[in-house]
Amino acid sequence: MDSVKKEITVKPIAIIVLVVLSLFAVLQFFNKPLEGKPVVKKIEAPREVLAILENSCFNCHSNEQNLKWYDKIAPISWAVNKDIARAKEVLNFSEWNYSAAEHQGKMYAILNMMQSGKMPLHEYTLLHPSAKITAKDVETIKKYTLSLSGVASGKKEVKNAQQNIEIIHSNPPSSKFPVSPNGITYNDDFKNWKVISMSTLFDNSIRVIYGNDIAVKAVETENFHPWPDGSVIVKSVWKQQKLPNGEVRAGEFINAQFMVKDAKKYTDTEGWEFAKFSGNDLHPTGKTASFAKESCIACHRQLAEKTGYLFDVPMKINTERLIKNLEK
Amino acid sequence: MKKLLFTVLSICALFTACKIDEPDKDLKRIVFDPGDLKFISTSLNTQKETSSALYGNSEALSSLSSENHQLKNGSRLKLVTWKYHDNPQYIGGTITGELVSIETVQADAEKVSYQIQNIAEGENIQTDKEERIRYMMSYEPVKRP
Repeated sequence: MDSVKKEITVKPIAIIVLVVLSLFAVLQFFNKPLEGKPVVKKIEAPREVLAILENSCFNCHSNEQNLKWYDKIAPISWAVNKDIARAKEVLNFSEWNYSAAEHQGKMYAILNMMQSGKMPLHEYTLLHPSAKITAKDVETIKKYTLSLSGVASGKKEVKNAQQNIEIIHSNPPSSKFPVSPNGITYNDDFKNWKVISMSTLFDNSIRVIYGNDIAVKAVETENFHPWPDGSVIVKSVWKQQKLPNGEVRAGEFINAQFMVKDAKKYTDTEGWEFAKFSGNDLHPTGKTASFAKESCIACHRQLAEKTGYLFDVPMKINTERLIKNLEK
Repeated sequence: MKKLLFTVLSICALFTACKIDEPDKDLKRIVFDPGDLKFISTSLNTQKETSSALYGNSEALSSLSSENHQLKNGSRLKLVTWKYHDNPQYIGGTITGELVSIETVQADAEKVSYQIQNIAEGENIQTDKEERIRYMMSYEPVKRP
């Protein structure tokens, strides 16, 4: 009588296990292996920097995957493959065809991602604890990144000159204002807008950031979660020019960077579209319409979420009394 | 009874501990309104860690665009200076923070007036008016297409 009872209780569990196992087996038929790609040009950096990158970043951000067995089993493999594809779109250490200035820019992005704890992804380090980075690792990356200042500026100009030539050919002379591959047209209305903030960057540039009326109102009322549609921000960037007394002024024009908000239109990039127009001919950046998805938004998404994916929002630092004094 | 008193007091203590402290409730993000003036130029003083924006009307712009930088009649200029900080969202960048001062120069027939509004509390710096006017007139309008 006892054995009959046991059979009855064991059976359903066995059935469930069998069903799960067969489902698992079936899933493996839909498991597309990761497409292997050769290492075109590996990033060059000091040994200790490479060691950190290889240990914590290469699995997703390179063509040299060293995946664990469970990463290759469906359904985990689906998520892993999707993450790797997206990661490589943004940054690929195996296809490092960058100028010294671009290398410096990428290293700053990496440093900021690591320092803020956004990378490596938390869900990744949960399954791969050895990929976690330590404060010492961040310090190593920081030391190297800061050491790049000054090395970068020289070669940059040569590349810009080459880009100028390419764009002059691709831009029909009839168009009044240049158009970014994603359809954003350059427009100099921003010169009449309010300046929302001013900034500098490691590349020795000086920047003035303008906002249209919608954006200015959003800043003042702190209504940027999300920013209202129609907000436009334009950043005007120049090289720093040092006067004999040490003061810095705006020198040669580098570029004008646009961010346009339309939540319904730009769904892949948190509702923002990006455009950059460089040099005196205002040649647009980007080869495809989706260039911002592969470059700009990655940093904005991870590092500027608090201010609605926008860097350079005025700091919350001035008092109410000051504003009243100003109004007098 | 003691137990009840202890519980009541503990609950009260919890509430006091949960008092929401809002140190930045009086703080604002501000955008300077230059009225009918437009942005002309910018500068950075790395010793004082300040960044300035120069605004002006069309007469001021034309004065600063001319070779001799002579102040034309009707010119109005405002130099707005901010303290800058390391950008809290990006290592390797700085961004403007506290508003420090607003200096205004106005040129009417045969008279050039100068005014300074020091915003930072306790600031009362003696300024050499002539020197400041000369300084503001030393700016070149930014170059861009």
